[in-house]
Amino acid sequence: MAEKILTQKNLVVRHSTVELIEHWAIAVSGLVLLMTGIFELPVAKRYYIITIPGLGWTADFITSLYLHYSAALVFTAAAVFHVVYHTARGEFGLLPRKGDFSASIAVIKSMFGFGEEPPMPKYLPEQRLAYAGMAFSILMLIISGLVKTYKNIYAPDISHTVVLWTTWIHNIFFVLFFLAFLAHMAAIALKPNWPLVRGIFTGRVRLAYARHRHPLWLADIEQKSGGTEIDKTGQAAGVETQQENAPSTREKRR
Amino acid sequence: MNQKNKTEISRRSFLQVTAGAIMLSGISLPESANAAKSEGLATIIDLSLCDGCVNRKIPACVSICKEINKNKIPLPVEPIPEPWPRKMIEDWSKKQEVFDRLTPYNFIYVHRAEVNFAGRKKTIYVPRRCMHCENPPCATICPFSANHKFKNGAVVINQNQCFGGAKCRDVCPWEIPQRQSGVGIYLHVLPGFMGNGVMYKCDLCFDRINQGQLPGCIEACPREALLIGAKKVIQAVALERVRRMKGYIYGMEQNGGTSTLYISPVPFEEINKTMTKKSGQPDIKMNVPRRMAGTDPLGKMVLAAPVLGLAAAGAAGAWKWFSRRKEKMNKKEGENG
Repeated sequence: MAEKILTQKNLVVRHSTVELIEHWAIAVSGLVLLMTGIFELPVAKRYYIITIPGLGWTADFITSLYLHYSAALVFTAAAVFHVVYHTARGEFGLLPRKGDFSASIAVIKSMFGFGEEPPMPKYLPEQRLAYAGMAFSILMLIISGLVKTYKNIYAPDISHTVVLWTTWIHNIFFVLFFLAFLAHMAAIALKPNWPLVRGIFTGRVRLAYARHRHPLWLADIEQKSGGTEIDKTGQAAGVETQQENAPSTREKRR
Repeated sequence: MNQKNKTEISRRSFLQVTAGAIMLSGISLPESANAAKSEGLATIIDLSLCDGCVNRKIPACVSICKEINKNKIPLPVEPIPEPWPRKMIEDWSKKQEVFDRLTPYNFIYVHRAEVNFAGRKKTIYVPRRCMHCENPPCATICPFSANHKFKNGAVVINQNQCFGGAKCRDVCPWEIPQRQSGVGIYLHVLPGFMGNGVMYKCDLCFDRINQGQLPGCIEACPREALLIGAKKVIQAVALERVRRMKGYIYGMEQNGGTSTLYISPVPFEEINKTMTKKSGQPDIKMNVPRRMAGTDPLGKMVLAAPVLGLAAAGAAGAWKWFSRRKEKMNKKEGENG
Protein backbone atom coordinates (compact mmCIF):
# COMPACT_ATOMS: atom_id res chain seq x y z
CA MET A 1 0.00 0.00 0.00
CA ALA A 2 1.64 3.20 -1.16
CA GLU A 3 -0.88 5.46 0.53
CA LYS A 4 0.84 7.40 3.27
CA ILE A 5 0.38 10.61 5.17
CA LEU A 6 3.48 12.80 4.95
CA THR A 7 2.62 15.28 7.67
CA GLN A 8 5.87 17.20 7.57
CA LYS A 9 5.46 17.82 3.88
CA ASN A 10 1.76 18.46 4.33
CA LEU A 11 0.98 15.84 1.67
CA VAL A 12 -0.78 12.51 1.30
CA VAL A 13 0.44 9.87 -1.14
CA ARG A 14 -2.62 9.08 -3.22
CA HIS A 15 -1.19 7.03 -6.09
CA SER A 16 1.78 4.70 -6.25
CA THR A 17 4.33 4.93 -9.06
CA VAL A 18 2.77 1.84 -10.63
CA GLU A 19 -0.65 3.50 -10.65
CA LEU A 20 0.76 6.67 -12.19
CA ILE A 21 2.45 4.64 -14.94
CA GLU A 22 -0.82 2.75 -15.56
CA HIS A 23 -2.84 5.95 -15.76
CA TRP A 24 -0.49 7.75 -18.11
CA ALA A 25 0.10 4.70 -20.28
CA ILE A 26 -3.65 4.36 -20.80
CA ALA A 27 -4.20 8.12 -21.13
CA VAL A 28 -1.46 8.80 -23.68
CA SER A 29 -2.06 5.64 -25.73
CA GLY A 30 -5.82 6.27 -25.51
CA LEU A 31 -5.37 9.77 -26.91
CA VAL A 32 -3.20 8.47 -29.74
CA LEU A 33 -5.86 5.82 -30.43
CA LEU A 34 -8.59 8.45 -30.53
CA MET A 35 -6.63 10.66 -32.91
CA THR A 36 -5.48 7.88 -35.23
CA GLY A 37 -8.94 6.31 -35.03
CA ILE A 38 -10.36 9.57 -36.38
CA PHE A 39 -7.71 9.56 -39.10
CA GLU A 40 -8.83 6.06 -40.09
CA LEU A 41 -11.96 7.84 -41.30
CA PRO A 42 -11.65 9.70 -44.59
CA VAL A 43 -11.57 13.11 -42.93
CA ALA A 44 -8.02 14.41 -43.29
CA LYS A 45 -8.31 15.43 -46.94
CA ARG A 46 -11.94 16.47 -46.79
CA TYR A 47 -11.44 18.75 -43.79
CA TYR A 48 -8.04 20.07 -44.97
CA ILE A 49 -6.30 18.59 -41.91
CA ILE A 50 -3.44 17.66 -44.23
CA THR A 51 -2.77 21.34 -44.85
CA ILE A 52 -1.89 21.88 -41.17
CA PRO A 53 1.91 21.84 -40.84
CA GLY A 54 3.08 18.49 -39.48
CA LEU A 55 -0.20 16.72 -40.22
CA GLY A 56 0.41 15.90 -43.87
CA TRP A 57 0.58 12.19 -42.96
CA THR A 58 -2.98 12.11 -41.65
CA ALA A 59 -4.49 11.23 -45.04
CA ASP A 60 -2.32 8.11 -45.25
CA PHE A 61 -4.44 5.40 -43.64
CA ILE A 62 -1.54 2.94 -43.43
CA THR A 63 0.63 5.41 -41.49
CA SER A 64 -2.30 5.98 -39.12
CA LEU A 65 -2.63 2.22 -38.77
CA TYR A 66 1.04 1.90 -37.70
CA LEU A 67 0.39 4.49 -34.99
CA HIS A 68 -2.96 2.95 -34.05
CA TYR A 69 -1.40 -0.49 -33.59
CA SER A 70 1.54 0.97 -31.61
CA ALA A 71 -0.83 2.73 -29.23
CA ALA A 72 -3.13 -0.32 -29.05
CA LEU A 73 -0.19 -2.42 -27.90
CA VAL A 74 0.43 -0.12 -24.91
CA PHE A 75 -3.29 0.42 -24.24
CA THR A 76 -4.19 -3.26 -24.20
CA ALA A 77 -1.18 -4.35 -22.15
CA ALA A 78 -1.77 -1.54 -19.62
CA ALA A 79 -5.48 -2.35 -19.30
CA VAL A 80 -4.80 -6.06 -18.70
CA PHE A 81 -2.03 -5.15 -16.26
CA HIS A 82 -4.43 -2.85 -14.39
CA VAL A 83 -7.11 -5.50 -13.98
CA VAL A 84 -4.78 -8.34 -13.00
CA TYR A 85 -2.49 -6.33 -10.73
CA HIS A 86 -5.23 -4.68 -8.69
CA THR A 87 -7.39 -7.78 -8.54
CA ALA A 88 -4.44 -9.74 -7.20
CA ARG A 89 -3.86 -7.06 -4.57
CA GLY A 90 -7.54 -6.89 -3.63
CA GLU A 91 -7.75 -3.20 -4.55
CA PHE A 92 -11.34 -2.52 -5.56
CA GLY A 93 -11.79 1.05 -4.32
CA LEU A 94 -12.72 2.31 -7.80
CA LEU A 95 -15.56 -0.15 -8.33
CA PRO A 96 -19.06 1.34 -7.97
CA ARG A 97 -20.94 0.72 -4.76
CA LYS A 98 -24.59 0.73 -3.86
CA GLY A 99 -25.90 4.27 -3.56
CA ASP A 100 -23.18 5.82 -5.75
CA PHE A 101 -25.68 7.26 -8.17
CA SER A 102 -27.64 9.29 -5.59
CA ALA A 103 -24.42 10.21 -3.78
CA SER A 104 -22.98 11.48 -7.08
CA ILE A 105 -25.93 13.79 -7.52
CA ALA A 106 -25.38 15.17 -4.01
CA VAL A 107 -21.68 15.74 -4.75
CA ILE A 108 -22.33 17.44 -8.08
CA LYS A 109 -25.00 19.65 -6.51
CA SER A 110 -22.56 20.64 -3.75
CA MET A 111 -20.01 21.68 -6.40
CA PHE A 112 -22.49 24.25 -7.61
CA GLY A 113 -23.23 25.51 -4.10
CA PHE A 114 -26.29 23.41 -3.32
CA GLY A 115 -25.79 21.63 -0.01
CA GLU A 116 -22.69 20.27 1.69
CA GLU A 117 -20.55 17.53 0.23
CA PRO A 118 -20.65 14.49 2.52
CA PRO A 119 -17.32 13.16 3.89
CA MET A 120 -15.65 11.07 1.19
CA PRO A 121 -13.37 8.05 1.05
CA LYS A 122 -10.46 8.02 -1.43
CA TYR A 123 -12.64 8.06 -4.51
CA LEU A 124 -15.77 10.10 -5.05
CA PRO A 125 -18.95 8.23 -6.03
CA GLU A 126 -19.04 9.85 -9.47
CA GLN A 127 -15.41 8.86 -9.96
CA ARG A 128 -16.38 5.25 -9.33
CA LEU A 129 -19.31 5.45 -11.76
CA ALA A 130 -17.15 7.18 -14.38
CA TYR A 131 -14.49 4.52 -13.88
CA ALA A 132 -17.03 1.75 -14.51
CA GLY A 133 -18.25 3.46 -17.68
CA MET A 134 -14.75 4.12 -18.94
CA ALA A 135 -13.59 0.59 -18.06
CA PHE A 136 -16.51 -0.97 -19.92
CA SER A 137 -15.84 1.19 -23.00
CA ILE A 138 -12.17 0.22 -22.90
CA LEU A 139 -13.06 -3.46 -22.55
CA MET A 140 -15.36 -3.33 -25.58
CA LEU A 141 -12.82 -1.36 -27.60
CA ILE A 142 -10.08 -3.84 -26.79
CA ILE A 143 -12.14 -6.94 -27.57
CA SER A 144 -13.50 -5.55 -30.85
CA GLY A 145 -10.09 -4.12 -31.73
CA LEU A 146 -8.42 -7.48 -31.23
CA VAL A 147 -10.97 -9.17 -33.51
CA LYS A 148 -10.42 -6.48 -36.16
CA THR A 149 -6.65 -6.87 -35.89
CA TYR A 150 -6.91 -10.64 -36.22
CA LYS A 151 -9.10 -10.17 -39.30
CA ASN A 152 -6.63 -7.69 -40.82
CA ILE A 153 -3.73 -10.09 -40.50
CA TYR A 154 -5.06 -13.62 -40.69
CA ALA A 155 -8.67 -13.75 -41.81
CA PRO A 156 -9.97 -11.04 -44.14
CA ASP A 157 -12.74 -13.46 -45.13
CA ILE A 158 -14.17 -14.24 -41.68
CA SER A 159 -17.94 -14.03 -41.34
CA HIS A 160 -19.27 -10.67 -42.50
CA THR A 161 -21.73 -10.71 -39.61
CA VAL A 162 -18.86 -10.97 -37.12
CA VAL A 163 -16.99 -8.19 -38.92
CA LEU A 164 -20.03 -5.91 -38.93
CA TRP A 165 -20.69 -6.48 -35.21
CA THR A 166 -17.08 -5.85 -34.21
CA THR A 167 -16.80 -2.80 -36.45
CA TRP A 168 -19.93 -1.16 -35.10
CA ILE A 169 -19.06 -2.04 -31.49
CA HIS A 170 -15.64 -0.48 -32.10
CA ASN A 171 -17.17 2.61 -33.71
CA ILE A 172 -19.88 3.12 -31.07
CA PHE A 173 -17.52 2.66 -28.13
CA PHE A 174 -15.01 4.93 -29.86
CA VAL A 175 -17.63 7.67 -29.65
CA LEU A 176 -18.47 6.79 -26.02
CA PHE A 177 -14.77 6.70 -25.10
CA PHE A 178 -14.32 10.11 -26.70
CA LEU A 179 -17.30 11.47 -24.72
CA ALA A 180 -15.91 9.88 -21.55
CA PHE A 181 -12.58 11.59 -22.22
CA LEU A 182 -14.35 14.95 -22.62
CA ALA A 183 -16.26 14.34 -19.37
CA HIS A 184 -12.96 13.46 -17.66
CA MET A 185 -11.50 16.77 -18.82
CA ALA A 186 -14.66 18.62 -17.80
CA ALA A 187 -14.36 17.16 -14.28
CA ILE A 188 -10.87 18.62 -14.01
CA ALA A 189 -12.22 22.01 -14.97
CA LEU A 190 -14.41 22.07 -11.84
CA LYS A 191 -12.64 23.98 -9.07
CA PRO A 192 -13.25 21.45 -6.22
CA ASN A 193 -11.36 18.86 -8.29
CA TRP A 194 -8.29 20.98 -9.02
CA PRO A 195 -6.26 19.60 -6.07
CA LEU A 196 -6.59 16.13 -7.62
CA VAL A 197 -4.73 17.24 -10.77
CA ARG A 198 -1.53 17.50 -8.77
CA GLY A 199 -2.16 13.95 -7.56
CA ILE A 200 -2.26 12.40 -11.00
CA PHE A 201 1.08 14.01 -11.92
CA THR A 202 3.01 13.59 -8.66
CA GLY A 203 1.01 10.88 -6.89
CA ARG A 204 0.50 13.23 -3.90
CA VAL A 205 -2.27 15.60 -2.85
CA ARG A 206 -2.25 18.27 -0.16
CA LEU A 207 -3.07 17.00 3.31
CA ALA A 208 -5.40 19.93 3.97
CA TYR A 209 -7.41 19.03 0.86
CA ALA A 210 -7.58 15.36 1.82
CA ARG A 211 -8.58 16.24 5.36
CA HIS A 212 -11.31 18.52 4.11
CA ARG A 213 -12.72 16.32 1.34
CA HIS A 214 -11.59 12.73 1.95
CA PRO A 215 -11.62 12.28 5.73
CA LEU A 216 -12.80 8.69 5.42
CA TRP A 217 -9.76 7.92 3.30
CA LEU A 218 -7.36 9.46 5.83
CA ALA A 219 -9.04 7.53 8.61
CA ASP A 220 -8.60 4.39 6.58
CA ILE A 221 -4.88 5.05 6.03
CA GLU A 222 -4.35 5.71 9.70
CA GLN A 223 -6.15 2.59 10.72
CA LYS A 224 -4.20 0.41 8.27
CA SER A 225 -0.83 1.95 9.12
CA GLY A 226 -1.54 1.77 12.83
CA GLY A 227 0.17 5.13 13.13
CA THR A 228 3.56 3.66 12.31
CA GLU A 229 4.09 5.59 9.12
CA ILE A 230 2.95 8.88 10.54
CA ASP A 231 5.11 11.14 12.60
CA LYS A 232 4.03 12.48 15.95
CA THR A 233 2.23 15.50 14.52
CA GLY A 234 0.60 13.34 11.95
CA GLN A 235 -0.68 10.93 14.56
CA ALA A 236 -2.29 13.79 16.39
CA ALA A 237 -3.93 14.99 13.20
CA GLY A 238 -4.91 11.46 12.30
CA VAL A 239 -6.54 10.81 15.64
CA GLU A 240 -8.42 14.01 15.25
CA THR A 241 -9.73 13.02 11.86
CA GLN A 242 -10.48 9.49 12.94
CA GLN A 243 -12.49 10.65 15.92
CA GLU A 244 -14.46 13.07 13.83
CA ASN A 245 -15.37 10.49 11.26
CA ALA A 246 -15.32 7.25 13.12
CA PRO A 247 -19.05 6.51 12.65
CA SER A 248 -18.80 7.04 8.89
CA THR A 249 -15.81 4.74 8.66
CA ARG A 250 -17.61 1.99 10.49
CA GLU A 251 -20.63 2.51 8.32
CA LYS A 252 -18.55 2.19 5.16
CA ARG A 253 -16.98 -1.06 6.29
CA ARG A 254 -20.30 -2.54 7.29
CA MET B 1 -30.51 -23.91 -71.70
CA ASN B 2 -28.44 -21.20 -73.27
CA GLN B 3 -26.44 -21.04 -70.07
CA LYS B 4 -25.84 -24.79 -70.19
CA ASN B 5 -24.63 -24.67 -73.77
CA LYS B 6 -22.23 -21.88 -73.03
CA THR B 7 -20.88 -23.76 -70.09
CA GLU B 8 -20.27 -26.85 -72.13
CA ILE B 9 -18.56 -24.81 -74.81
CA SER B 10 -16.37 -23.30 -72.16
CA ARG B 11 -15.34 -26.70 -70.96
CA ARG B 12 -14.68 -28.14 -74.40
CA SER B 13 -12.70 -25.13 -75.50
CA PHE B 14 -10.74 -25.20 -72.37
CA LEU B 15 -9.86 -28.83 -72.78
CA GLN B 16 -8.54 -28.07 -76.24
CA VAL B 17 -5.93 -25.70 -74.93
CA THR B 18 -5.00 -27.34 -71.69
CA ALA B 19 -4.37 -30.88 -70.63
CA GLY B 20 -4.32 -32.92 -67.48
CA ALA B 21 -6.98 -34.26 -65.20
CA ILE B 22 -6.38 -31.52 -62.66
CA MET B 23 -7.70 -29.05 -65.15
CA LEU B 24 -10.94 -30.92 -65.61
CA SER B 25 -12.26 -29.71 -62.34
CA GLY B 26 -13.38 -26.28 -61.35
CA ILE B 27 -12.82 -24.35 -64.55
CA SER B 28 -15.59 -22.18 -65.92
CA LEU B 29 -18.23 -24.52 -64.58
CA PRO B 30 -20.98 -23.05 -62.48
CA GLU B 31 -21.32 -26.28 -60.51
CA SER B 32 -17.63 -26.55 -59.79
CA ALA B 33 -17.35 -22.86 -59.07
CA ASN B 34 -20.22 -23.26 -56.67
CA ALA B 35 -18.56 -26.19 -54.97
CA ALA B 36 -15.33 -24.21 -54.68
CA LYS B 37 -17.06 -21.27 -53.03
CA SER B 38 -15.90 -22.20 -49.56
CA GLU B 39 -12.26 -22.70 -50.54
CA GLY B 40 -12.09 -19.66 -52.78
CA LEU B 41 -12.34 -18.92 -56.45
CA ALA B 42 -9.88 -17.29 -58.80
CA THR B 43 -10.00 -16.13 -62.39
CA ILE B 44 -7.66 -16.11 -65.36
CA ILE B 45 -7.55 -13.30 -67.89
CA ASP B 46 -5.56 -14.71 -70.80
CA LEU B 47 -4.23 -11.82 -72.88
CA SER B 48 -3.07 -14.23 -75.58
CA LEU B 49 -6.74 -14.97 -76.26
CA CYS B 50 -8.43 -11.61 -75.70
CA ASP B 51 -8.90 -9.70 -78.97
CA GLY B 52 -10.72 -6.78 -77.41
CA CYS B 53 -13.86 -7.73 -79.40
CA VAL B 54 -12.65 -5.37 -82.14
CA ASN B 55 -15.58 -6.33 -84.32
CA ARG B 56 -18.07 -5.10 -81.72
CA LYS B 57 -18.93 -1.61 -80.64
CA ILE B 58 -18.42 -2.54 -76.99
CA PRO B 59 -16.39 -5.57 -75.87
CA ALA B 60 -18.63 -8.47 -74.83
CA CYS B 61 -17.39 -8.55 -71.24
CA VAL B 62 -18.06 -4.82 -70.81
CA SER B 63 -21.42 -5.05 -72.52
CA ILE B 64 -22.79 -7.88 -70.37
CA CYS B 65 -21.40 -6.32 -67.19
CA LYS B 66 -23.28 -3.12 -67.99
CA GLU B 67 -26.41 -5.10 -68.73
CA ILE B 68 -26.24 -7.11 -65.49
CA ASN B 69 -25.62 -4.03 -63.33
CA LYS B 70 -27.76 -1.50 -65.18
CA ASN B 71 -30.33 -1.18 -62.40
CA LYS B 72 -27.93 -1.49 -59.52
CA ILE B 73 -27.53 2.19 -58.70
CA PRO B 74 -30.65 4.10 -57.67
CA LEU B 75 -31.29 7.53 -59.18
CA PRO B 76 -29.17 10.13 -57.38
CA VAL B 77 -31.08 12.80 -55.50
CA GLU B 78 -31.41 16.19 -57.17
CA PRO B 79 -29.58 18.30 -56.33
CA ILE B 80 -26.76 16.17 -54.97
CA PRO B 81 -25.79 17.56 -51.54
CA GLU B 82 -22.56 19.51 -51.68
CA PRO B 83 -20.01 18.06 -49.26
CA TRP B 84 -18.43 20.49 -46.81
CA PRO B 85 -15.82 21.90 -46.73
CA ARG B 86 -14.17 20.23 -49.73
CA LYS B 87 -16.74 20.31 -52.49
CA MET B 88 -16.16 17.15 -54.48
CA ILE B 89 -19.26 15.72 -56.06
CA GLU B 90 -18.65 12.74 -58.36
CA ASP B 91 -21.68 12.23 -60.54
CA TRP B 92 -21.58 9.70 -63.37
CA SER B 93 -25.33 9.28 -63.62
CA LYS B 94 -25.50 11.36 -66.81
CA LYS B 95 -22.51 9.57 -68.36
CA GLN B 96 -23.58 6.00 -67.79
CA GLU B 97 -22.65 5.02 -71.34
CA VAL B 98 -18.89 5.58 -70.76
CA PHE B 99 -17.08 2.26 -71.27
CA ASP B 100 -13.41 3.16 -71.77
CA ARG B 101 -12.63 3.54 -68.08
CA LEU B 102 -13.95 2.42 -64.70
CA THR B 103 -16.95 4.37 -63.45
CA PRO B 104 -19.72 3.56 -60.95
CA TYR B 105 -21.68 2.40 -63.98
CA ASN B 106 -18.83 0.52 -65.66
CA PHE B 107 -16.97 -2.11 -63.65
CA ILE B 108 -14.74 -3.40 -66.48
CA TYR B 109 -13.08 -1.83 -69.52
CA VAL B 110 -10.55 -3.04 -72.08
CA HIS B 111 -7.24 -1.27 -72.55
CA ARG B 112 -5.58 -1.51 -75.97
CA ALA B 113 -1.79 -1.77 -75.80
CA GLU B 114 0.51 -1.45 -78.82
CA VAL B 115 3.63 -3.21 -77.69
CA ASN B 116 7.08 -3.61 -79.25
CA PHE B 117 8.45 -6.89 -78.07
CA ALA B 118 11.21 -9.13 -79.48
CA GLY B 119 11.44 -6.93 -82.54
CA ARG B 120 7.75 -7.26 -83.36
CA LYS B 121 4.77 -5.01 -82.93
CA LYS B 122 1.92 -6.64 -81.13
CA THR B 123 -1.51 -5.46 -80.03
CA ILE B 124 -2.59 -6.67 -76.63
CA TYR B 125 -6.02 -6.11 -75.12
CA VAL B 126 -6.21 -5.92 -71.34
CA PRO B 127 -9.60 -6.19 -69.62
CA ARG B 128 -9.32 -4.24 -66.35
CA ARG B 129 -11.49 -4.67 -63.29
CA CYS B 130 -11.12 -5.34 -59.56
CA MET B 131 -8.34 -7.87 -58.88
CA HIS B 132 -10.15 -9.37 -55.84
CA CYS B 133 -7.01 -9.43 -53.70
CA GLU B 134 -6.16 -12.19 -51.21
CA ASN B 135 -6.04 -9.70 -48.35
CA PRO B 136 -7.68 -6.61 -49.78
CA PRO B 137 -6.87 -3.38 -47.93
CA CYS B 138 -10.02 -1.80 -49.40
CA ALA B 139 -12.10 -4.28 -47.38
CA THR B 140 -10.00 -4.80 -44.26
CA ILE B 141 -9.82 -1.12 -43.35
CA CYS B 142 -13.23 0.01 -44.54
CA PRO B 143 -14.38 2.03 -41.49
CA PHE B 144 -17.91 0.62 -41.69
CA SER B 145 -17.06 -2.86 -43.01
CA ALA B 146 -19.31 -2.14 -45.98
CA ASN B 147 -16.61 -3.70 -48.13
CA HIS B 148 -15.87 -7.34 -47.39
CA LYS B 149 -13.98 -10.28 -48.79
CA PHE B 150 -16.11 -13.41 -48.83
CA LYS B 151 -15.04 -17.04 -48.55
CA ASN B 152 -15.46 -17.49 -52.29
CA GLY B 153 -12.81 -14.84 -52.87
CA ALA B 154 -15.11 -12.07 -54.09
CA VAL B 155 -14.51 -8.63 -52.59
CA VAL B 156 -17.92 -7.01 -52.41
CA ILE B 157 -19.09 -3.51 -51.46
CA ASN B 158 -22.53 -3.49 -49.86
CA GLN B 159 -24.11 -0.39 -51.35
CA ASN B 160 -26.56 -0.15 -48.46
CA GLN B 161 -23.74 0.17 -45.91
CA CYS B 162 -21.22 2.27 -47.83
CA PHE B 163 -20.86 6.00 -47.02
CA GLY B 164 -18.75 6.74 -50.09
CA GLY B 165 -15.74 8.13 -48.26
CA ALA B 166 -13.53 6.60 -50.97
CA LYS B 167 -11.03 5.24 -48.47
CA CYS B 168 -11.14 1.97 -50.42
CA ARG B 169 -10.03 3.80 -53.57
CA ASP B 170 -7.20 5.51 -51.68
CA VAL B 171 -5.76 2.25 -50.35
CA CYS B 172 -6.27 0.23 -53.54
CA PRO B 173 -2.99 0.15 -55.50
CA TRP B 174 -5.04 0.32 -58.70
CA GLU B 175 -7.64 2.80 -57.36
CA ILE B 176 -10.41 0.58 -58.68
CA PRO B 177 -13.59 1.57 -56.73
CA GLN B 178 -15.50 4.50 -58.22
CA ARG B 179 -17.84 6.87 -56.43
CA GLN B 180 -21.37 7.92 -57.27
CA SER B 181 -22.47 10.87 -55.16
CA GLY B 182 -26.09 11.51 -54.28
CA VAL B 183 -27.01 7.90 -53.48
CA GLY B 184 -26.73 5.75 -50.38
CA ILE B 185 -27.11 5.78 -46.63
CA TYR B 186 -25.13 9.00 -46.09
CA LEU B 187 -28.13 10.93 -47.40
CA HIS B 188 -30.03 9.88 -44.25
CA VAL B 189 -27.28 10.83 -41.78
CA LEU B 190 -25.28 14.04 -42.27
CA PRO B 191 -24.92 14.39 -46.05
CA GLY B 192 -23.11 17.73 -45.88
CA PHE B 193 -20.52 16.60 -43.35
CA MET B 194 -20.09 12.84 -43.56
CA GLY B 195 -19.92 10.54 -46.56
CA ASN B 196 -20.34 11.42 -50.19
CA GLY B 197 -22.22 8.62 -51.95
CA VAL B 198 -21.46 4.97 -52.58
CA MET B 199 -18.37 3.23 -53.97
CA TYR B 200 -18.91 0.78 -56.81
CA LYS B 201 -16.74 -1.86 -58.42
CA CYS B 202 -16.83 -5.40 -59.79
CA ASP B 203 -18.18 -7.89 -57.25
CA LEU B 204 -17.32 -10.93 -59.36
CA CYS B 205 -21.07 -11.24 -59.98
CA PHE B 206 -21.47 -12.36 -56.38
CA ASP B 207 -25.20 -13.00 -56.68
CA ARG B 208 -24.83 -14.95 -59.93
CA ILE B 209 -22.10 -17.14 -58.41
CA ASN B 210 -24.34 -17.83 -55.41
CA GLN B 211 -27.05 -18.90 -57.85
CA GLY B 212 -24.64 -21.28 -59.55
CA GLN B 213 -24.04 -19.04 -62.57
CA LEU B 214 -20.82 -17.74 -64.05
CA PRO B 215 -19.75 -14.12 -63.73
CA GLY B 216 -21.12 -12.24 -66.73
CA CYS B 217 -17.77 -11.34 -68.28
CA ILE B 218 -16.62 -14.97 -68.17
CA GLU B 219 -19.86 -16.26 -69.60
CA ALA B 220 -19.93 -13.68 -72.40
CA CYS B 221 -16.32 -13.81 -73.58
CA PRO B 222 -16.48 -15.27 -77.10
CA ARG B 223 -12.83 -16.34 -77.01
CA GLU B 224 -12.81 -17.94 -73.56
CA ALA B 225 -10.13 -15.49 -72.52
CA LEU B 226 -11.61 -15.35 -69.06
CA LEU B 227 -11.93 -18.40 -66.83
CA ILE B 228 -13.01 -19.04 -63.27
CA GLY B 229 -12.51 -21.96 -60.92
CA ALA B 230 -11.09 -23.19 -57.66
CA LYS B 231 -8.08 -21.06 -56.79
CA LYS B 232 -5.54 -23.89 -56.67
CA VAL B 233 -6.68 -25.23 -60.01
CA ILE B 234 -6.70 -21.80 -61.62
CA GLN B 235 -3.21 -21.09 -60.34
CA ALA B 236 -1.97 -24.43 -61.72
CA VAL B 237 -3.62 -23.77 -65.07
CA ALA B 238 -2.25 -20.22 -65.25
CA LEU B 239 1.29 -21.38 -64.56
CA GLU B 240 0.96 -24.18 -67.08
CA ARG B 241 -0.26 -21.78 -69.77
CA VAL B 242 2.55 -19.36 -69.00
CA ARG B 243 5.04 -22.21 -69.29
CA ARG B 244 3.61 -23.34 -72.62
CA MET B 245 3.54 -19.90 -74.18
CA LYS B 246 6.81 -18.87 -72.52
CA GLY B 247 4.76 -16.00 -71.24
CA TYR B 248 4.31 -13.86 -68.19
CA ILE B 249 1.96 -13.76 -65.23
CA TYR B 250 0.51 -10.89 -63.21
CA GLY B 251 -1.50 -11.03 -60.01
CA MET B 252 0.21 -13.88 -58.16
CA GLU B 253 2.44 -11.62 -56.07
CA GLN B 254 1.02 -8.13 -56.57
CA ASN B 255 -0.54 -6.57 -53.49
CA GLY B 256 0.22 -9.77 -51.57
CA GLY B 257 -1.50 -11.96 -54.13
CA THR B 258 -4.82 -11.61 -55.92
CA SER B 259 -7.59 -13.84 -57.20
CA THR B 260 -7.13 -12.50 -60.74
CA LEU B 261 -4.27 -13.89 -62.78
CA TYR B 262 -3.35 -12.18 -66.03
CA ILE B 263 -1.25 -14.25 -68.39
CA SER B 264 0.42 -12.67 -71.36
CA PRO B 265 2.82 -13.53 -74.19
CA VAL B 266 4.60 -10.20 -73.63
CA PRO B 267 6.10 -8.81 -70.43
CA PHE B 268 3.79 -6.71 -68.30
CA GLU B 269 6.49 -4.06 -68.08
CA GLU B 270 5.96 -3.52 -71.82
CA ILE B 271 2.19 -3.38 -71.42
CA ASN B 272 2.56 -0.98 -68.52
CA LYS B 273 4.55 1.39 -70.75
CA THR B 274 1.36 1.91 -72.76
CA MET B 275 -0.64 2.83 -69.66
CA THR B 276 -0.75 6.16 -67.94
CA LYS B 277 -2.37 5.85 -64.56
CA LYS B 278 -5.41 8.10 -64.55
CA SER B 279 -8.64 8.24 -62.61
CA GLY B 280 -10.55 5.08 -63.54
CA GLN B 281 -7.67 3.79 -65.69
CA PRO B 282 -5.21 1.82 -63.57
CA ASP B 283 -1.69 0.91 -64.64
CA ILE B 284 -0.27 -2.61 -64.46
CA LYS B 285 3.14 -2.04 -62.90
CA MET B 286 4.92 -5.10 -61.55
CA ASN B 287 6.04 -3.74 -58.21
CA VAL B 288 2.87 -3.54 -56.14
CA PRO B 289 3.68 -4.28 -52.50
CA ARG B 290 0.90 -4.94 -50.01
CA ARG B 291 1.42 -1.88 -47.88
CA MET B 292 -0.54 -3.27 -44.95
CA ALA B 293 1.96 -6.14 -44.70
CA GLY B 294 4.30 -3.69 -42.99
CA THR B 295 1.79 -3.28 -40.18
CA ASP B 296 1.33 -7.03 -39.64
CA PRO B 297 4.23 -7.50 -37.15
CA LEU B 298 2.85 -4.67 -35.01
CA GLY B 299 -0.64 -6.14 -35.31
CA LYS B 300 0.67 -9.49 -34.09
CA MET B 301 2.21 -7.73 -31.10
CA VAL B 302 -1.18 -6.15 -30.39
CA LEU B 303 -2.72 -9.62 -30.39
CA ALA B 304 -0.06 -10.67 -27.87
CA ALA B 305 -0.57 -7.53 -25.73
CA PRO B 306 -2.93 -9.21 -23.20
CA VAL B 307 -0.20 -11.76 -22.45
CA LEU B 308 2.32 -8.94 -22.14
CA GLY B 309 0.06 -7.16 -19.65
CA LEU B 310 -0.41 -10.36 -17.69
CA ALA B 311 3.33 -11.00 -17.55
CA ALA B 312 4.01 -7.41 -16.48
CA ALA B 313 1.41 -7.69 -13.71
CA GLY B 314 3.03 -10.94 -12.54
CA ALA B 315 6.47 -9.33 -12.56
CA ALA B 316 5.24 -6.22 -10.71
CA GLY B 317 3.42 -8.36 -8.15
CA ALA B 318 6.47 -10.50 -7.58
CA TRP B 319 8.68 -7.44 -7.23
CA LYS B 320 6.30 -5.93 -4.66
CA TRP B 321 6.18 -9.21 -2.75
CA PHE B 322 9.95 -9.54 -2.58
CA SER B 323 10.35 -5.88 -1.60
CA ARG B 324 7.88 -6.27 1.23
CA ARG B 325 9.49 -9.50 2.37
CA LYS B 326 12.91 -7.86 2.38
CA GLU B 327 11.52 -4.91 4.32
CA LYS B 328 9.98 -7.22 6.90
CA MET B 329 13.20 -9.17 7.27
CA ASN B 330 15.23 -5.99 7.70
CA LYS B 331 12.76 -4.79 10.28
CA LYS B 332 12.94 -8.10 12.12
CA GLU B 333 16.75 -7.99 12.06
CA GLY B 334 16.64 -4.44 13.41
CA GLU B 335 14.33 -5.47 16.24
CA ASN B 336 16.59 -8.40 17.12
CA GLY B 337 19.46 -5.97 17.37
